[in-house]
Formats: sequence, C-alpha cells, structure tokens
Amino acid sequence: MTSADPHPPLILLSGVVKRFATAAGEFEALRGVDLTVDHGEFVAVVGKSGSGKSTLLNMIAGIDRPSEGSIAVHGSSLGQLSEAQLARWRGLSLGIVFQFFQLMPTLTALENVQLPMDFAGRGAGPEAAGRARELLRRVGLADQADKLPAALSGGEQQRVAIARALANDPPLVVADEPTGNLDSATADQIFRLFEQLVAVGKTIVFVTHDRDLAQRASRVLEIADGRIVGDHLVGLSAASETS
Amino acid sequence: MRSGFRLAALAPRWRKVVRDLSLARARTFMVVLSIAVGVFAIGTVAGTRQRIARALDDSFRAIQPSNATLTTFTTFDDDLVSTVERMPEVAEAEGRRSLFVRVRAAGGEWRNMQLNVLPKDGLTRLDRVLPHEGQWPPPRRAMVVERSALGLVGAGIGEDVTVRTPLGKERTLRVVGTAFDVYALIFTIDGTPWGYIDEDTLAWLGEGRGVNELHLRAAERADDAGHIADVVAAVRDKLERDGRAIYYMTIPEPGKHPLDSTIQAMLLLLGAMGALALGLSGFLVANTAAAIMAQETRAIGIMKAIGAGQGQIGGLYAGLVLAYGALSLGVALPAGLAGTVWLSRLMARYLNLDLHGGVISLPVLALQAAVALLVPVIAAAVPIWLGTRITVREALNSYGLGRGQFGRRRMDRLLERLSGLSRPLLLGLRNTFRRPGRLMLTVITLTIAGAMFVGVLHVRASLGRTMDTLMQLYQYDVAIQLARPYRLERLLGVAQGVPGIREAEGWGFTSARHLGAERPQGPSMLSLSVPLIVFAPPAQSTMLRVPILRGRWLLPGDERAAVVSTAVLDDQPGLDVGGTIRLKLEGRDTSWTVVGVTQGLGPTPLIYVNYLPFSKVVEAAGQAQWLSVTLIEPSEAARQTAAKALESAFERAGLRISLVIKIDEERREALAAFDGIIALLLAMVGLMAIVGGLGLAGTTSLNVIERTREIGVMRAIGAGDGTLYQIILVETLTVALLSWLLGTALSLPLGWALGRAIGQSLLGNPLSFGLSLGGAAVWLGLEVVLVLLCSWLPARRAVRISVREALAYD
Ligand SMILES: Nc1ncnc2c1ncn2[C@@H]1O[C@H](COP(=O)(O)OP(=O)(O)OP(=O)(O)O)[C@@H](O)[C@H]1O
Ligand SMILES: [Mg+2]
Repeated sequence: MTSADPHPPLILLSGVVKRFATAAGEFEALRGVDLTVDHGEFVAVVGKSGSGKSTLLNMIAGIDRPSEGSIAVHGSSLGQLSEAQLARWRGLSLGIVFQFFQLMPTLTALENVQLPMDFAGRGAGPEAAGRARELLRRVGLADQADKLPAALSGGEQQRVAIARALANDPPLVVADEPTGNLDSATADQIFRLFEQLVAVGKTIVFVTHDRDLAQRASRVLEIADGRIVGDHLVGLSAASETS
Repeated sequence: MRSGFRLAALAPRWRKVVRDLSLARARTFMVVLSIAVGVFAIGTVAGTRQRIARALDDSFRAIQPSNATLTTFTTFDDDLVSTVERMPEVAEAEGRRSLFVRVRAAGGEWRNMQLNVLPKDGLTRLDRVLPHEGQWPPPRRAMVVERSALGLVGAGIGEDVTVRTPLGKERTLRVVGTAFDVYALIFTIDGTPWGYIDEDTLAWLGEGRGVNELHLRAAERADDAGHIADVVAAVRDKLERDGRAIYYMTIPEPGKHPLDSTIQAMLLLLGAMGALALGLSGFLVANTAAAIMAQETRAIGIMKAIGAGQGQIGGLYAGLVLAYGALSLGVALPAGLAGTVWLSRLMARYLNLDLHGGVISLPVLALQAAVALLVPVIAAAVPIWLGTRITVREALNSYGLGRGQFGRRRMDRLLERLSGLSRPLLLGLRNTFRRPGRLMLTVITLTIAGAMFVGVLHVRASLGRTMDTLMQLYQYDVAIQLARPYRLERLLGVAQGVPGIREAEGWGFTSARHLGAERPQGPSMLSLSVPLIVFAPPAQSTMLRVPILRGRWLLPGDERAAVVSTAVLDDQPGLDVGGTIRLKLEGRDTSWTVVGVTQGLGPTPLIYVNYLPFSKVVEAAGQAQWLSVTLIEPSEAARQTAAKALESAFERAGLRISLVIKIDEERREALAAFDGIIALLLAMVGLMAIVGGLGLAGTTSLNVIERTREIGVMRAIGAGDGTLYQIILVETLTVALLSWLLGTALSLPLGWALGRAIGQSLLGNPLSFGLSLGGAAVWLGLEVVLVLLCSWLPARRAVRISVREALAYD
C-alpha cells in the first residue's frame, strides 16, 4: 500500500520490532508486527501479562518508537516526526485513555478536558469551555464539571479521561486497560461509552484482560510473546488468521 | 472553586500554574523563600551601597573640601594668608587656628584634645564644620565637641570639662553641643577628640591671636594629585621663606573622603557578599526547580500524551518559576528595605555619616525585580529542559521510584561492605546517593552557604590575628612624649623615683619631613600626607618588637639605617629595602638606608633608627624626647596609676609633657579603627546565616516533600514510623555533613582571598590568615539543627498521610 491509495488505512504497522535493553541483555517485546486498522474499527487487544500489549499500543500512540519497522497513523509516518511534531500530531489525531486515569490533579474536570484544546492552540475561551462542557455532558458528568479529580470516583475520573481524549475530536482513541481499575458495573458504563463513540465513526483500539469485554469489540487481536497470534473479527464464524 | 471566576479568563495550562502555586502551599512557601533570601540580600547590599555612596557624596560636598592643609609649629597672621591667596596657583586660602590641649571630664583623667577655633558665625569658607546637636555656633567660654568624639571626651552635652592649655592655664568649659566634621573621625579613631571654640574663648584660655593652619583650594586641576602636590610645595616654600616651620601637611586624595580606603574595603565586602548571595540564590533555585521537575514527571508525561510539545511544557514551568519569582518579590522588597535601613545605619554610625533621603531607590528595586525574575528562570532553565525532555513512556512508567542508575551499583557495593549497618540506615544512605545530579545541586547550594558563613568568620579571625601581630610592637607599659628633648639622666632619674617602675628607656623622638615624597598616594587608611614620626630607641631595646614584613630589624652597629612603615613607602613609589630615604630632621637634610619594612598600625608613617646616629644628627647626644617604661606588675590598673604618678612627678620636676601613652588605650584605639569593618563582617555573618539557613531549610524540606510517594510505598510494605524517620534523617544528615565538609574546605580560599583584598585596602598588605574553628563549629551546629527541623516537619506530614493518598497522583 502507498500513500497514493485513495482510502489509506487509519493505522498501518509493518515489520515492527521493539527491543529493550535490560540488565540481562536485549529483550524483544515486539517481534515483527504487521497490522492494519481501518477507520471505524473497534479493536480489542488481548494476551497474557508481559506479552507486549502496552508496547504495541505505545507504538500506535507515538509514545515510544520502534527499533525496526515503520508505523503510519492518520496519514503520518511516525518515524519521520520529531518529538515536538509527534506531540502536536498526537494532540490532533488521537486521544489516549490510561488505566490509572491520569488526570491533572490540580485542574477541575472541565479544565482537564480543555487542556488538550489549549495545547493544540484551539483557544481557551468560552467556546472551548462550551465544547468541553458538552463532552462532559456526553459522558454523563455535566454536574461534576467543576470538581477536582480527587473528588471524583474512579469511574467518573475515567469518564473525564475519555472526554479529554475526545477534546480535539480525533478520529482515533487508544486505551490501555481503561477498565482495569474499575468494578464490573462501572467498567460496563465505560464500555458503553466506547460503543457510542464507535457508532459515531471513531476508531478505538483498547487493551483488556477481560475476555467478555473483548468479545463486544468488532475485532480481537491476540498477542503472545511479542507476536500477533490471533486476529478475529467478532460475529464472523471464521477466524481470519494473520501472521 | 472559589477562584474559578477570576481564573476563567486564563488558559487551562496557566490555571494549572496558579493552582500549583496555591495548592502546593508548603512547596510554594519554600521556593518563594529560597528566591526571596537571595533577592533580599541583593537588595540590602545594593541599597546600602547606594545610600552610603550618596551620604558620602553629600557630606563631602557640603563641607567645601580643601585641596590641602598646611600646619605650622608657630602661629602667623592674616597678611601671610593674603600673600598665599594672591599666588596664581591658589584660588582660596583660609587661615585657621587649632591648639592641642589636655582635657579632663568630671571624675575622669587627663587626655589629649585638639581644639579648633571657628569664626563667630561658626562658618568657615573651606572644610566646614556642620552643626549636629545642641548649640551652634560655639558660644563664649564653651565648646562644641565633634559627635564621634563625645565618648572619648567623657562628657555629655551640658556637662563641664576642664581644659589645660600648653602654657599650663586651666579653665572650665561647658560642652554645649556636638558638630559634624568629616576630618575628625580619623583623629577620633586615633584617640584624639576634636572640639570647637570661638575666638573669644581662645583669648580667655590665654592664647594669643594668629593662625597655624592654612587650608587651600587650588586654582585649577583640583582633581590632579600631582598638580596639587606642586601647589602645596610652592606654598610650603613661601611659608618656610617667611620663617614658618611646617609641622605637617594634609593632602587628601582629590575628591575623596578621608576614610575612602576603609569605605572601599567595606563596599568591596558588600559587593562580594552580594555576588555570593546571588550565586547561592541561583543554586537554590536550580535545586528547587530540579525537585519540582522530579515531582512533575507524571504531569509532564500526561501533558505530552495529550498533545503538549516540549516547548509548551517548558513555557508552562518557566511561567511557574516566574510566578515564584514575582511572589518572592513581595517578600524580598520590604525585607530588602528593612535590611538596607539596618545595614546603612550600622555603616553610617561607624563612618560618622549622615544619611539623607529615602530608603527606596528605583534602580535598586529594579535590580531586585530583575534578579527575582531572571535568576530563577536562568537557574531553572536546565532542570526544566531536562525535565521536559523525558518521553511519555518514561514519564508514565516511573512512579518516582528507583530512577537513576548512575553510580548506584558501585555505591551499593560500597554500602554493603559496611556490614553491621541497620537496614534503614543503609536505605537512607543509598537514597542519598541515588540521584547524583540532585545530590550535587543540593550539596553545592549548602556548600556555598557554609563557605560564605565560615569564610566571613575567617576574615574576622584574620583581622584579629593581624592586629595581634601588630600589637606585639608595644612591649612597654607606659610611654611619655615630652614637649622638647631633655637630658636622659634627668628623665630616668625622675622615672625611677616613681613606685612600680621596673625599667625606663629614653628614646630619640621627632617629626620629620620626607624629602623624597612625591605625593600622597596608595592605599593608606587616611589618604593623608601626615608628618613622619621618627623613633630612635637604643640599639637592642627590649621595649618594642617591630613586626618586620621585609628585610630586617636594626642591628647595634647600624649607622644610617632605617626601618620604615608601609605608609612611608606609599609616599615614595619605588622605595623599598636597600633604597635610600631622605629626611628633613630638625632642619637638616639627612639620608638613611632602608634595611627593613614594617606594617604600620595607623595612618602615620613611622621610621625607626638607632639612637646613637640619630642623636648625632640632631645634635642632641645624651638627650631624649620620649620615655618608655615597663612596670614590675603590669596590669591595666597599674598602668593607670603609673601614668598618673609619672605625669605628676614630671610636672613637679618641671619637665613638660606633651603626651602620656598607656598601652591599653593604644591597643583599644588601634582596634577601634577596625570596629566598622568588624561590625560589618558580623552583620554579614548574620545575613549569611539567614540566607544559608533558609537555603538549607528549603532544600531539605523540598527533598523530603519529594519523597512523599516513596514514604507511602515503604509504609505500604510495613515500615514503621521510627524506621521512616530514621531513613529520612540519615539521608538529610549525610547531605548536611558532606556539604559542611566541603563548605568548610571552600571557606579557606574564600576567607583568604577576602582577607587579602580587605587587608590590601585597609593596611596596604594582606591580612595574616586566621582560622575560625568556632565559625566552622557554629555552622555545623546550625546545619544539623536546621536539617533536623526541616526534615522532621515534612517527614511527619509525609508519615501521617495515608498510604492511599501517598500513592495517588501527587
Ligand atoms: N522500558 C522497558 N524496559 C525493559 N523491558 C520492558 C520495558 N517495557 C516493557 N518491557 C518488557 O516488555 C515486555 C512487554 O511489556 P508490555 O508492557 O507491553 O506487556 P503487557 O502485555 O502490556 O503486560 P501487562 O498485561 O502486564 O500490562 C514485558 O516483558 C516487559 O517486561
Ligand atoms: Mg500493559
């Protein structure tokens, strides 16, 4: 596939290898990953602890760089971007949701949602505040907008984090165990939010340990020892294997 | 959020800055204080410098300073003054009268005093005396005393003193007020108070009319010392042709205050301290910024993850630092003003200066603002740059634990070898060396603070040591300067009749003119050209031990050999050991070979020659004008008694005394010359203790605040309160001891360099270096107490908060 393709995929990884230097020598966390994700897909990444799920997600989000191979997301070749360009690109192209919420503790929920707009230079005025308030309403937190994170429950904090991920209206949301720290009822709420987002055309890639949740995605990637060992489209009886 | 409305106008990232300031109150407090101490010190130093410089200028301009003063032995009349004034080189000449008297306050004892005669209105044309307190101008049969000399006279305003004139007449005068005379302080320091009377009082004291001082202002090039010297030489020749012998000449350095070199030494000290405080402040801020960036790692990671570039995040933290700087100004400006008032008053008191005008100076405030805003940003630039460079993955993976690998293994191995250490002790020690960068910053900061504190105390010790060395000069207990030479046997006979005297020695003594003197220059404490004093003790005299800087002391066989003080060298550039000095002694031109150089104590140039050649030259063989005496049981009281007994014995024998010198007074007066500098040094020590102490406090508590999460983790795995305190105390004490060692080591070169510079400007020679072990000990104590206090409080806070809070995002 080339950039001349009229409908390039949203995410394209080819031959991605990631090595870490450890005390015991080099360790390959990813061992040659090829992956294509199209617009509107709802992708679950599963696998045992230490299999390389977070590493893969970090590659997609431009949080870490591959040792080998190339990554293109939302029309940008990540390898060619500087750290500063990468940050800008990230602000506009994707939203990140973390397992531990990672809200700024000294900013209110509303301000946390506004922060990416601020960094992207999309104004901090009343219209930005209006957009942030609307996003909080969509995650069901309109009343909690002016509270500090410490005054919110885990589920509420994660919903603020999702609203924040959507601040600049990116096409892609990546989430590393977004429900890992939540009870199952709260996790369900969060997951329903994801489903709504997919319904309006967002692409979501998330890591989970929960097989049931994974089955509610449209596609499940299974990782073992740094390789994609399974790639199922949920709802289709036949599994399409990739290697 | 109450502040929500006001903040609404700000972009979210700046709202984070404001919240960080207001929510992390302990941190804000410590950072603001860290910056404020430096800015406060700068403000105090700069403000004081400026106020003192302005006061100097004002006081000097107000008196219409002369370019030179010539004093003769005998009086002359106004015709001669007019003749001098008509010389083309001379713009203005004013004749004045001064006389040397003995004075005694009620219940006190006789001491020397100089009375200056002023016109009826108290107003002279040159070298004006300004009214200070009480009556002005001096009325009939009363005197006004120079304000710095009131203590020496021993009488307050409204009290009576008895004056005995050179002719022996005694009169009682009332002290009715004080005056301010720029030139008086140097004589006060030398132990001779100055007073002022009018012409009627002079007549009442039985003294004839006529003047003995000629104050001059040159017609042109008043700022050219060489030219002034030529003018003075021309006037001197005119006076000498008229038959007037010159007693001495005073040529102040053009446009300079008589105490200029002392003032320069003080300003130098102030400047050095200001620069050091600035450097210290810089390190304090860098240290603090590094601590903050470490705390903010997670926040930086999150911001990067949601699209912030390094520049944006850097700007945000630069903004935070700027805000700290701005807040610190709120503390430092008023504190700096208070410091300026205190320090400038202290200096003005020692310099006999009047402070005019307000304390607030825009340039000083601007300097403080620039320092408060720029220094933190510059100092924080590197920590911010390093802190914001971290990648998202590194930032989010790090829980503020276990970072930093450099040197860890080596240190660990070393520590493991110290078997027998308890677990917490080991942990504390390991923590200390875990982040070498931060450790280095902290240690440097505390080292500078300690070096400044201890270094200043070394300077003080050096001053004391130098004084002690110089004081060895006096091996006699009491000395008597006679009005004219008397036969030696007669003097010794009278002295030996006084009880308590062990030994008496007659010396030749006279004042001389230095014929080779080019002009007054060089760093003598007075920048005055005063007459040379020649002492001619018998060879191998045991009554004085002259400290020799270069060359040697006089040998018994020396004929035309002289040992000269450094002040003599100042008058004749190029003169040194082996050179020849030409002196006009009792009207005769003589030459002497310089065999040694000594450090003079005061401003007076001194020359020592052997008694025999001296008495031959002045044709006074077997005569002496100076008598040095040692006592059987020397003590201050014994010296007082002996001095009184000698004075009355000499009086009864009809021997005229012009001065009685008691060694204790001599010592006190010599030391008094350094009171100002010593007071300033002590003020500096206080200032450094504040700056260094606060720096120490800030650094320590920040280090512990930074550990909050780690404390939570250790708590979670079962560490008890005692263990936690132990770990923290071991860590902070290690830092304190390490920086104490380094600071004490660094204080040596610092104290040496400062002592050199101060000695050079005060005495024309480096101070002999003195160690202040007490200073090092005090700093150690201060450091330990502060460290314990400043780690205990935040540690208690950290230990008290729950594990959950500690592990939540800080
Ligand atoms: N910075 C790093 N340095 C060294 N090794 C690393 C680093 N990050 C990850 N690894 C290693 O790479 C492997 C994959 O890590 P990764 O975090 O991707 O696993 P994961 O699948 O997300 O596991 P989990 O489900 O526990 O989160 C692990 O063995 C891990 O130890
Ligand atoms: Mg993971």
